[in-house]
Amino acid sequence: MSIELEEIAEFLKQHHPFALLPDEVINTLPRRLTAKYFRAGTKVLSPEEQCLHLYIIRSGGTETRDPDGQLLARLSEGECFGVRAMYRNGKAANSITTLEDSLCYLLPEKDFHDLAAKYPQFKYFFAQIGGDRLRSGMQLIESRDDDQLKLMSIRVADLIARDLVSIDKSATILEAGQLMSKERVSCLLVTEDSDKIAGIMTDRDLRNRVVAQARSYDEPVTAIMTAKPISVHPDDYAFDALLTMTRHNVRHLPVMKDGKAVGMITTNNLLARQSLSAVYMAGRIGKLTDPVDMAKVIDQVPELLSHLIEAGATSQNAGHIVTTLSDAATVRLLQLAEEKLGPPPVPYVWMAGGSQGRQEQTALSDQDNCLILDDAYDPEKHATYFKGLADYVCDGLHKVGYVYCPGDMMAKTDQWRQPARTWQQYFNKWIEQPEPKSLMLCSVWFDLRPIHGTKGLFENLHRMIVSKAKDNRIFQAYMVGNALTHHVPLGFFKNFVMIRGGEHDSTLDLKHNGVVPIVDLARIHALANGVDAVNTFERLNAVKSFPSISTQGASDLLDAFEFVSITRLKHQVRQIRRGDAPDNFLHPESLSAFERSHLKDAFSVIKNLQNALEHAFGKSGT
Amino acid sequence: MGLRQKIIDSSLYRDFIQRKATGALRTYYDVPPADPSRSVMETEFIALDLETTGLDPKRDEIVSLGWVIIRQLGVDFSSCEHILVRPTQDLSESSVVVHRIFDSDVADAPDIATALEHLLPEMAGRVLISHHAPIELGFLGQACKRCFGAPLQIPTVDTLVLALRDIRRTGQPMKPGALKLDNLRRNHNLPPFRAHNALSDAIAASGLFLAQIAKRDPKGALELNRILR
Repeated sequence: MSIELEEIAEFLKQHHPFALLPDEVINTLPRRLTAKYFRAGTKVLSPEEQCLHLYIIRSGGTETRDPDGQLLARLSEGECFGVRAMYRNGKAANSITTLEDSLCYLLPEKDFHDLAAKYPQFKYFFAQIGGDRLRSGMQLIESRDDDQLKLMSIRVADLIARDLVSIDKSATILEAGQLMSKERVSCLLVTEDSDKIAGIMTDRDLRNRVVAQARSYDEPVTAIMTAKPISVHPDDYAFDALLTMTRHNVRHLPVMKDGKAVGMITTNNLLARQSLSAVYMAGRIGKLTDPVDMAKVIDQVPELLSHLIEAGATSQNAGHIVTTLSDAATVRLLQLAEEKLGPPPVPYVWMAGGSQGRQEQTALSDQDNCLILDDAYDPEKHATYFKGLADYVCDGLHKVGYVYCPGDMMAKTDQWRQPARTWQQYFNKWIEQPEPKSLMLCSVWFDLRPIHGTKGLFENLHRMIVSKAKDNRIFQAYMVGNALTHHVPLGFFKNFVMIRGGEHDSTLDLKHNGVVPIVDLARIHALANGVDAVNTFERLNAVKSFPSISTQGASDLLDAFEFVSITRLKHQVRQIRRGDAPDNFLHPESLSAFERSHLKDAFSVIKNLQNALEHAFGKSGT
Repeated sequence: MGLRQKIIDSSLYRDFIQRKATGALRTYYDVPPADPSRSVMETEFIALDLETTGLDPKRDEIVSLGWVIIRQLGVDFSSCEHILVRPTQDLSESSVVVHRIFDSDVADAPDIATALEHLLPEMAGRVLISHHAPIELGFLGQACKRCFGAPLQIPTVDTLVLALRDIRRTGQPMKPGALKLDNLRRNHNLPPFRAHNALSDAIAASGLFLAQIAKRDPKGALELNRILR
């Protein structure tokens, strides 16, 4: 393929659903396309007009309105319109008008249907809601569950994630942007007369209508908002809200009651249904009383993961969602334990470590957890209670599917069920008098996250850990020594070094030689710089601005982490689809040449940053 | 437009040179030229770009050609072509620096006559689009004369000339670089192209052309006459 068509292919590879197609297929697409250009304000399609192509926006933006003139969606670069026409015998359903000068690529109807027939993930992306798209999601829930935990049974009100952030319509664009940044929201409700909705403004508007058009920040927010947005009622079914979002391709829906805004639900259209499945699964777990029943829900995690990955979730999304379910099971078991054993005699906090702590769980996870007890803990009086609690939860988790930690890093183990002062001593010792062996074992305890109980107990401890670790070069050097024991499987000539012999002959261990080294690198840079995040993505993002790692290095490592993680997840999904048990051992031949070279790049990024780490920290202590 | 150009573009002149043409150029002239009174929507265009060893059509040679066809004001990517041409002389260092085509790249490439045999049928009945057309017309004309005994006549739209008219119409002074393809594309909200070769520049010019037409008449009912050079 020539360079310029390659650029078109590259563009497609960056956007869903084309990104879900194999590279060989994407590479054939540019030659199937026609480019058309529309001035801002051009009506590209009208309802019932013939439309024999799927339109992919290459530059610019469009607005979709239904035949009554109601705004349905705003689309920008990389998004598609004319989808409904593909399923209506080439007749457009809505009107499409360009908001900016736009260049579109047109894919013939026949090619669209060929791709949809061949690639379920492509079809799935466009599938009409109510049809295939929901069905596959529903099956996930319903296949094993006669109680029918239905999408139909949850109301919008239950989904409102956070308080509404709104701004009066007299505000300027600058004020709106500052409020969004301060509140960390991607969307603002614009109000008039204090609680009537005037419109909605999203980060996309800031990009497309302010920055791209070099508009003055002093203009009123009304100049860029979408007036009279579609909304839902808190009593509407979540199903209907999702329907609305997916159909209208909007990511934010205000929730209105009696003409007043009461909340906002936001979603990333595709992941919505999948994460919603997870929300229901978590909700379901919260109602069960027997670990055996919970196991039936958790058994669906591999299936959920497959759906997520096929729908284009990032490894971070997937890790978050899967971990949510472990958290739900843990919390539920703790509630049940408290019901059985009575209220705790002294406050405690249940902590998750390792991948659950970092919110990076995959299809196979064991349990890493511990208990931090209030210093009022008296072994004479309280040991039996907490032993009982820990046994109940750890045994329960084991039954649910999170098998016992091989290293006994569990609250069940006496050593890891201690009052806060003892934990302080532990960390003091690990940080101030580090021993390589014990450090290696306890690295899971540097990724702690409170799950249930009195979180303040952990906060004090956490502050101490972060400040001590930051100042201790010897500790850091030992951590570096540990981190460097995980070698990247690359040989001298950048060829893969594979496992030889045994059960996993000729494979790469993506966990220990790919994911773990990056997790280790992120942990060290975070600890050395006093960063308190535990999630690897968050840690790497946070350390970008610190001198111990270059900004480029941190960015490269983030990319490498995502690539290795997603490759591992895809590998596991393939195994799940084949009916095999998922593992971390990948045969490189199962990858395309393109993926292989990417994987090599990712490994060499890790290797380079391991070397850099050795230079930055390693010499002083070892 | 000068008198000389008017003569060269006239149908009388076409009849005259048609008789002298041989080979692929003869066949090219057998197809009637695009009707200048038709609308641009009904007209087919070929956006073309060349890379050459220098700027003088009499002395320098074509080293690559890229083109793409435009139908109903849509750029048809299935029609993309990019061909390298083997020059009769070794490539000079200075030209290699510009287009990064090396002797080794063109060692097995077709000669210019073969390349024209491929291109001319694609041009027949269509309108040429080029950004700064005198280069393309000059080199193709010389090549046609050398290979097929007659010059090339083709109705032409020069996107640079259209851009110049747009700028003059605004009455604003011209900024340096204002007529560069990349800058013009950016002004029309067209995506940047990272690569530069004959085909990518032909595609770039085709996109600019669509934008220039959309600006004049979104429906494309505009007469071809109004935009010809």
